[in-house]
Formats: sequence, C-alpha cells, structure tokens
Amino acid sequence: MKRSFSIFFVSLLVLVMGFAQAGFAQLAEDIPREKTFIADVLTGRVGTPANFNVFTTAWRNPDRGVQQLMLEPLWLVDYVTGEVINALAAEGPIYNEDFTQMTVKLREGCQWSDGVPITADDIVYGIELCMQDSGMSYNAPFNLYVDKVYKTDDYTVVFEFKEPNARFHANFIDRWGGWRPFPKHIFEEAEDPLSFDFNPPISSGPYVLKDFDQAGYWTLWERREDWDKTPTGILYGMPQPEYVLFYYYGDAANKVIAQANHNLDMTDLTMEAFRAILERNEYSRGYRKEYPWVVNVDPCMTGLTLNNDVSPFDLKDVRWALTLAIDIVDYIGIAFDGAAPMGVLHVPPTPVYQEWYYKPLEEWLKNLTLDIEIDGEPFKPYDPEAPFRLVEYVKERGYDVPKEPEAIREMFGPGWWKYAPDVAEQLLLRNGFTKDANGKWLLPDGTPWKIAITAHPSPSHPQHRNSLAAAQQWRNFGIDVTVNPSEAYAALAQTGDYVVNDNWPAIEPWGGHPDLYRVLSPFRTSYYRPIGEQAVGHSSRWYNEKLDKVIEEMEKVDWDSDKNLQLGMEGLKILVEEMPTIPTFGYPGVVAWDEYYWTNYPGAENPYTQPYHHWPNFKYMLPFLRPVER
Amino acid sequence: MLFFKRYLLPRIVQFLVVVFVGITIVFIVPRLTPVDPVQQVINRITAQGAFLDPAAVDSMRKSLTELYGLEGSMLQQYFAFWGRLFRGDFGPSLFQFPIPVTQLIMTSLPWTAGLLISTTLISWIVGNLLGGLAGYFKDRRWAKVLDNISMVIRPIPYYIFALLLLILFAYLFPIFPSAGGYSVGRRIGFNWAFISDVLKHSFLPATSLVVLGIAANFMTMKLIVSNIVAEDYVMYAKAGGLKESKIAFKYVLKNGLLPQITGLALSLGQIFGGALITEIVFSYPGIGTLVYGAINSGDYNLIMGVTSLSVIGIAGATLIIDLLYPLFDPRIRHR
Amino acid sequence: MESFKELMKDGRFKFAFIVICVLALMSILSFFSPYNPLKWNVVPRDLPPRWPHILGTTSQGQDLFWQSTFAIRNSLIIALIASSISRVIAVIVGLIAGYKGGKVDTILMSINDSFVVMPLLPILILIASVMRENLTMVTLGLILSLFGWAWDARVIRSQILSLREREFTYTAILSGTRTFSLVIKEYFPFIIPIIFSTVINNMIWAIGMEVTLAILGLTNIEVPTIGTMIHWAVNYQSMLLGYWWWILTPVVISILLFVALYLLSSSLSEYLDPRTRIQRIGKAGQ
Repeated sequence: MKRSFSIFFVSLLVLVMGFAQAGFAQLAEDIPREKTFIADVLTGRVGTPANFNVFTTAWRNPDRGVQQLMLEPLWLVDYVTGEVINALAAEGPIYNEDFTQMTVKLREGCQWSDGVPITADDIVYGIELCMQDSGMSYNAPFNLYVDKVYKTDDYTVVFEFKEPNARFHANFIDRWGGWRPFPKHIFEEAEDPLSFDFNPPISSGPYVLKDFDQAGYWTLWERREDWDKTPTGILYGMPQPEYVLFYYYGDAANKVIAQANHNLDMTDLTMEAFRAILERNEYSRGYRKEYPWVVNVDPCMTGLTLNNDVSPFDLKDVRWALTLAIDIVDYIGIAFDGAAPMGVLHVPPTPVYQEWYYKPLEEWLKNLTLDIEIDGEPFKPYDPEAPFRLVEYVKERGYDVPKEPEAIREMFGPGWWKYAPDVAEQLLLRNGFTKDANGKWLLPDGTPWKIAITAHPSPSHPQHRNSLAAAQQWRNFGIDVTVNPSEAYAALAQTGDYVVNDNWPAIEPWGGHPDLYRVLSPFRTSYYRPIGEQAVGHSSRWYNEKLDKVIEEMEKVDWDSDKNLQLGMEGLKILVEEMPTIPTFGYPGVVAWDEYYWTNYPGAENPYTQPYHHWPNFKYMLPFLRPVER
Repeated sequence: MLFFKRYLLPRIVQFLVVVFVGITIVFIVPRLTPVDPVQQVINRITAQGAFLDPAAVDSMRKSLTELYGLEGSMLQQYFAFWGRLFRGDFGPSLFQFPIPVTQLIMTSLPWTAGLLISTTLISWIVGNLLGGLAGYFKDRRWAKVLDNISMVIRPIPYYIFALLLLILFAYLFPIFPSAGGYSVGRRIGFNWAFISDVLKHSFLPATSLVVLGIAANFMTMKLIVSNIVAEDYVMYAKAGGLKESKIAFKYVLKNGLLPQITGLALSLGQIFGGALITEIVFSYPGIGTLVYGAINSGDYNLIMGVTSLSVIGIAGATLIIDLLYPLFDPRIRHR
Repeated sequence: MESFKELMKDGRFKFAFIVICVLALMSILSFFSPYNPLKWNVVPRDLPPRWPHILGTTSQGQDLFWQSTFAIRNSLIIALIASSISRVIAVIVGLIAGYKGGKVDTILMSINDSFVVMPLLPILILIASVMRENLTMVTLGLILSLFGWAWDARVIRSQILSLREREFTYTAILSGTRTFSLVIKEYFPFIIPIIFSTVINNMIWAIGMEVTLAILGLTNIEVPTIGTMIHWAVNYQSMLLGYWWWILTPVVISILLFVALYLLSSSLSEYLDPRTRIQRIGKAGQ
C-alpha cells in the first residue's frame, strides 16, 4: 500500500516537473519573446474573435489591436502634446466660408497591406456605404449632415452639408473611436457588409493579423514588410516590435501575475494591484517613476452627476451644499490613496487644460462668491491651498513628494472647493431642511434625506471609487447614503432612473485641442428629455439659457479661433456657478509598464506621446520603444 | 406497450412540461432587468470618448431597436422565440450583432465540456470511492485523516481556493501558465504539442475543481455508507463470514452509489451553464463568462440560448436517470 | 439535559458546540460594536493583528474583528433562512411524492424538476441584477431557499422510494399502522441523517452562493458578510500585498462554521439514529 502510494507521488512529481520544464511562457516556440510586445486588452475578452469588421454598430473590442495597429484614421488627437496628428489625411480639414462644405486632402503613398493604394475612392465608398445601411456606424450623423460626398481627384474628397456644421471633421478624429477608412476593394466583394467578418483583415496600419485565440483571450499581430507605406512609418519610422500581442489576462490580480512573469509589458491596474507589482517586480514602473505614479494627463474628468430633475437636486443651494460637504483631501484619500489630481472645472486638470483654462480662470475662481454671508463677509468657496493639504496627507501615508508649488499643482491639481460643512448646513437650513436629534438631515417635508448612488459595477473603476468616497463624505455630513453598483448604470442614467451617479460630470473634451464644444453642447436645452425618456445630451438633465447662447455662438466659429477659447471659458463659468454636476478629480490612469524586455516608454519624464496601450495612438509609440538586450 | 404507456409516456410528458416551464421562466427573468441591449451598444461606442453627435444618438437608437427585432410586445417576442427554437436557431447575438448565438456557443462549448466532463467524472469517481471506503472502514486511521482533510477543504470558498492555487503555482512558484487555454501562436491540431499545451493550461483549473469536488463527494458518500453499514443485510453478511472487501464493494458501495448517480446526472447536465468562477480566475475559455457577459450587456438572445440549452441538458439528464434507475436498483419495479 | 451531558461526552460534539457558541457570541457582539460598519478610516490602515485590533485592520481603515462580528451575523441570517425554509419544503415534497406515488408524485416531481433544471447561477445573477438595492439579507435568504430545496427533495424521495419496497413497510401496513405514524416512526430515522447532512450542505451552499454573488459585486457590498469581506480583501489585493490577516479572517470563519456544523450534525444524527443508539447502550453496558 505504502509502496504504491510513493510510486503514485513520484509519478505525479515527474508529471509536474515535466510541465515545469516546458516553462510558463505564454508564447509558442516560433514567436520569440524578445521580439514581441505584449499589452493588455482593456475592454476584456473578445466576444467575436473571428470578426474584424469594426465598422458596424456592433461591439468588437477595437482595442484588441484593431484600432492600435490595424487601422489608421484621417486624424488623431494627442492629449499629451496637445496636437492634432494628420494620419491618412495630409492636412487639417478645409471648410468653406459658411461651413457648408468640407474638403479633405489625403496623404499620398499609403497602401493597404495587400498592396492596393489608399485613395479618395475608399473614403467616398465608405461614407456612402455607411449612409445606406443603418447597421453601419456613423450612419446617423452622416445622414443628418451629409448631402453628398465626392472626389475631385484621387487624393481629395469633398463633403457637402445639408446645414452648416463647423465640427463635422470631429467624426473622423480617432479619439478611441471615430470613422476610419476601410478597403473598398474588399468590402465591395462582401455580400452583406453588416455580417461580413473581414477575416483575414486588410490593414492600413503598420501591422497585420498573425493569429488569434478562438476563445477571444488574445490576438497576435505581425509587423508589415511595407510598414513604410503607412502613416506610422512615414511620420515616425519603423515600429520596433516584430510582433505585438494583445492579451486579456483577467482581473487585476491576474495582470499582476502576468507582469511578474514578464508576460505583460503594458497594462493598467488598480492602485493596490500596482503596489503589489512594484513589490514583486523590480522592472515594473508607472507613468511616473515615483509616487503618485499615475497618469495625470488623461483627458477625462471624474466626479458625481446629480439628477437635476429630482428634488432636492433641482435647487442650486443643495448642489452647492453637497459640494462643500466634501473634504477633497479625505475624498481622494479614500478613492485613490491621494494619487489623483483635483479640479473644479468640468475639464480635467491636465497640463494642457491647466494652461488653456485653469490658469486664465484662477483669478475669477478666487474671487467667486456664493450668495451667502459668513461672519458678515460674502463666502468665497475656492481653496487654492487644497493640493497642499493633499500633500500633507500623502506625506503622512509615507510617500515622498516634491516641494515646488508648481510641481505639486501639476501632480495634484490647482485647487478645489473649501471643506465647509458649516456653510453647507446654512445653505440647506435656508431651504427648509432640518436636522433630527441624531444629527441626520431631514428634507423640507420632514422625511429623512436618503441618497442612493448608482455606481459603476467595477470596484476598481475610478467612477466606482468616486461613489464610495462620496458616500463616506455625505454620511459624515449626516445624510443616509447607499451605494448601488449596477451593470445597468448607463441605461439608468439615460432614462433618468437615478438620483446621483458617478458618470462623468460632463462629456470629456478632445484632449488635444482647446475646443469645448463636446463638453458644453450636451447641456443645450433642445437636448433635454424628462425622466423616463432616453436622454440625448448629458444625463444630469440640467439646461441653461445662458449656456445655450454660448453653444450657438460656438457653432458659428472656427474651432481654432481665439473667440472659441473665450466662449469655452464663458461656458465653464456657468457650469461652476450652477454646479449641475460635481467634478472631483482627473482620471488617474494607473498604468504598469515592465522594462524587462522593452524600455523608453512615454513616461512623465519623457512624454513624447500619450501613455496608453489601448488608445489608437499606440502605433505612434512603437517606433520609439527600445528592446533590452538579454 | 403497457410499459410505454404507463412508464415511458408520463416521464416524457413530464420532461416536456419541465422544459417548457423552465424555458418560459428564463425568457421572462432577463427582460425584467433594466439593462437595455441597445443602450449598452451605444454606451460601448461612446464610453471611451468616441464622438457621437447627441442628435445622432436618438436616430441610432431607433434603428438599432428595429434591427435587433426588439420592437414587438413581449408576447410577440416570446412566440417568435419558440418559433426559432424549433428550427434550432437562437437568433443573432444582440451585443455582437449579427453573429448567430449558436456560433458563439459552439466556440465556447468544447472548452467547457472538456474541462467539466472530465473534472466532474474524476471527482465523482474518486470522491465516492474514497468516501465509500472511508465510510465502511470508518475507524481506520487513514479514513479519519481523509475525513478531516476533506472537512477543512470543503468549506473553503471556491473562488479563494482557485485564487490560492493560481498565486501559488503561477506567481510564487511559476510552474503553470496563469491564463488562457493554450499558448499564443500554437497551431490548433490533433498532435501531442497542442494536446500537452492544452493539458498544461487546464491543469490548475481542473485541479481546483477536482479537489473541492472530491471533498464534497467524499463527505456525502461517507455519510450514506455509514448509514448503510448499520443496515441489517450488511450485518448478516458480516455474520455470514463474507470477505470484507466483497461486502464493502458489492453490498455497501453499490447501494450507496444509487442516490449519487442522480447527483452525477445533474452535475453533468449543468455543464451547459459553464464554470463562471473558474473561467474568471484562470482566464479560461468557456460558456460561464459568455453568459455572464450576456447578462451584463442585456443580450437576451444569448442569455436565452445558453440557459435554454442548460435547461434541456439538465432535464434530459434527469429523464435518462429516471428511465435507467430501475436497472441500478432492482427494488424499484416499473409500474 | 441528560442527553446533553451524554452528547458532551462526544469530543466532536464538544468541539462543535464550543465553536458555534463562540461564533454566536461574536454575532451578538456586533450589536455592541464601537464602529459603524459602513464607515471607512475609523482605525489606522493595514495593521497586522495586535492589541487592540486583535484581527488586524483593512486598507479601508476598518477593524477586522468588529467587521467580522457583523459578517458572521449577516451570513448566518442568510444561511439559516435559506436552509430552514428550503428544508421544510424539501421534506414535505420528498415525503409526499415518495410515499403517495402515482399522479401526486408526477405533479410534484414536475414542479420539483422545473426548479432543478434551472441554470442556477445565471438565474441568480439575473435576479440579483433586477433586485439590486432591494436585495437585503432576508430577501437573499428567501431567494436562495426558493432554489435550494429541489435537489434534496429528490434525494429524500428516492430514499423513501427504496424504503417503501422494504419489508418493514409491508409488515407495518399489514399490521395496520397508520400512514402518518408509519412515516414518523419508520421513515424518519432514515431521513433525519439526510436532513442533517443536507442542512449543512445547504447552509454551505447558501454561504457559498452569497460569496459568489458578492465577489461578482452583485450584493450590497457595503454590508459586511463573509462574501463581501472576501470581495474587499480580494479587490484590494490583500493576497498579493501580503495582508494575510485580511483574507484569512473570512476564510477561517467559513471553515470553522462549516466544520462545527458538520461535526454537530454527524454526532447528533448518530445520537438520534436508533440503531447506533442501541450499539452505544450496549457498549456502555459492557
């Protein structure tokens, strides 16, 4: 009996060792690891791995490499350098005087990966196809505005509009999505462009499909022989990795494990997982090499959205009271252990937006008064010292931070509102709110004030973290708060079936351009829909006549003009005064990069391009990466 | 003929009723969620910041609702569903339009079936064998040791157990791959390189399922057997001087397995539901995450496809067991 | 009292009884917790176990001992509701179907099987996503009990089916015993061990389901239960960061709970089983 047991164990051991000998590399033998770059798929496992037709409205996980490697758009924005990059277009859009016509000049010398040149025919065919079939993406906006589209020569396309539109080119700016050209000679052959799987795909970008997982976990791309016939090659030179692998490893813990084994070069994580990988892998780094590590250039502003159609959030005083009941230092501490840049405007406090909007508006913010007096003086809510208070917290947590005020403002944001629960209390009291014996707030009708925050379902998402932090703050203030994460949070927001949620307080700006049309226009009165109807604009259901005027003005001016910048500031001021939604901190991107096989990432010390592997701009990072000799 | 009418027919009718009721319930429940598939698609498109003119969103919503066939009343959709089901068609996936649901299921099913059939069978056989022996020889030292081990392992939440295995053998001692079904770039084919690759990748997921499965089967079986041991006929057999091993296997184990067979049939039938937590922890391909994603995106057609298959699978397994039961237990006669 | 003394002679029962008393005491202690379980940063973060935080603290600045008092209470509520209600249904359905047979059996088993064939996890996930904020401890327990009885009803039925074929049933019927007393006297001794073992299995299943739903973030994750404690510990990477006390607390609690319940049930059913009782008395007499 004993003997058979030991034989069993020995053979089990041999079996395990046999596996161990084969190693734990995730790559087959003919894909050399040192020539391969491995990145994470942000949006998860691909549901339809064999389908590369991303041109319909269906979801196809474009960040499995399709938008980063396979396709080139007409234009891209880079929110770090603040520039608009001409990719397949040779130059910016050319509008006529009254914005009823737009001309696009195409870059010459670009080819599809099967050798066919990319010309105006592809563009015209693509636009017309999208206009015919309602299942294709951009069907709606094109039909709304485009009267006709035609080519004047092989590299010039002209759009004629049904009505003036100074922002039509925005449909073509790849900003994690945008209309991208597809090959006419392939799609023409397809029976039904909607169900066509585009497999194998033909690339306009510098890589072609090599292999993919039937189960949808990974997609492998190989560099094109003729990479120099793509905008990437023409603009930035040869992409360094011979292969790029997009791999979805799963939860944050799985990504940490993968990177610790050097099987994942670029990924994003949660703050906690990031600390775990730093402890484990000496080659891992963040956007910054030191605390606070996170990306502070992300073009998204996080915060809280209040449903302005629900009482008592229809009262400006209540919205401001909820804002002043937040101690932003404690808030960011709870949400991100202090590592996020605070901001009061409805645009993120990234270096470019600080330059464009935060600095010009600083004096105005400092002098802003609320319609309430404290000790006989009008109350000034703005607190430019808030980032320095956050620094104190961070030091207490044992992290090192620079001392220069400029560096601190860049890392932690320019300022926030004062923590003033006393003022918040007065704002509520004067609207008929009362406090019960336990210090809990009662609504003007005498019932307890309960707030249910509808939260993003993923506990690691900054939106979800906003909800948790807000719940803590408002509980301390004496409100009964619950947090309800829901997969349906977006649908609930659209139909207005919520009171407070953690959606972006405003639609995010372009990132690489000061134009705020995207931010402001969703608030226009004509987009307002009452609760129960699907929202068209911003889900807060707030609108304002003064803002309508600003938006209308914007539609009549060129997006590069100085007037447009001034209009943006007017709009932001209205949002601050009315506080329909509460911006809190800029999206802290917790990225982890492994420098074991590759180096020269666009970190804070050398921000040559945007830092994410899931943005379409990723292809412009690849020529700059350097392999590490091992 | 009498056999058919009195035994077979009622059971088949019952099977059909069960399937009908089950499928009707899984038709209704998803439609109660506030998750709107059209909104989820629009959301995905705009979530990362792609530009969509607010005015365009409205017309897009209308055309998508029409495209997905979600316009009619619930009753109309219900009848349309049965109509399609009889043709073996679950319609297109809504979130991954217009890929047919059957195609999505067929991509995931082999992984799930391969993993779950083998682990379910292994843990059933090993667990019941050990449990039966430990129940019969319950005073032996090894039986007590096994009992204590399984008593402690059994209650560990599966998720934690799986995560622990992953951290131990893919992180602290990186012996096994941490994710996926096979190596990147490996050609799929019936050859040793591919098969060993798949085995290597499935080792940790399978181990996690087998260990906890053995513990559960072990404990149930041990309890059943220790009851049987006290029965008169076992006493007689012992008194009659039959060999211990013969009593253990022929009388005790065989009888103890009867109730366990039903359990096996049900677990095998449940395979169509997939192993969600296993798939999440080990990033292993399968149906569990497919249906979980479908629930989250409100993909009614896909939810219905997977759950209907699951209902039919489990009901079918129970029917078969019901019909075969008299073969195992001669005490139950057909009537 | 006499029987309790006798039971306490059994080492397994003694251990189980003490553990259950400790856990029960902890869940009562939750009413005297110095901290609000919903509030964060009430104690220093990430402290390993030491006085006064005897089980350590979390990254959210909560005391693990006091959190676990709430967690035990809430998880026990769910498990007890789920298992007790589902046991009642299972026993009734199993007994009636097995004993009556015929049409009653067919109808009951159709209902039963409709529940058995339901793909449980997807349905629970769907229900949880529909209920959301209304998903309290009690409703979760009720939902679980609704889905937790069918399998065991089948097991009980098949046990009754095989008992029916035995001689003592015929002897009893021939000698004119009434159905009810037959069921109580002759069948229950065989069914009670099944009930006990299924209670334990069902409680473990209910706690496990709660853990699964909590890990997927589908329950109210702010309310401490064994599941939500695991949810937070895993989401804040306590395993990778080496905060072993955080993840171990809920895991050890669930192991202790189970082991205690299991030992309790096995020693109790042995005690109640008439046949082993005779053996025991016989042994005592020797």
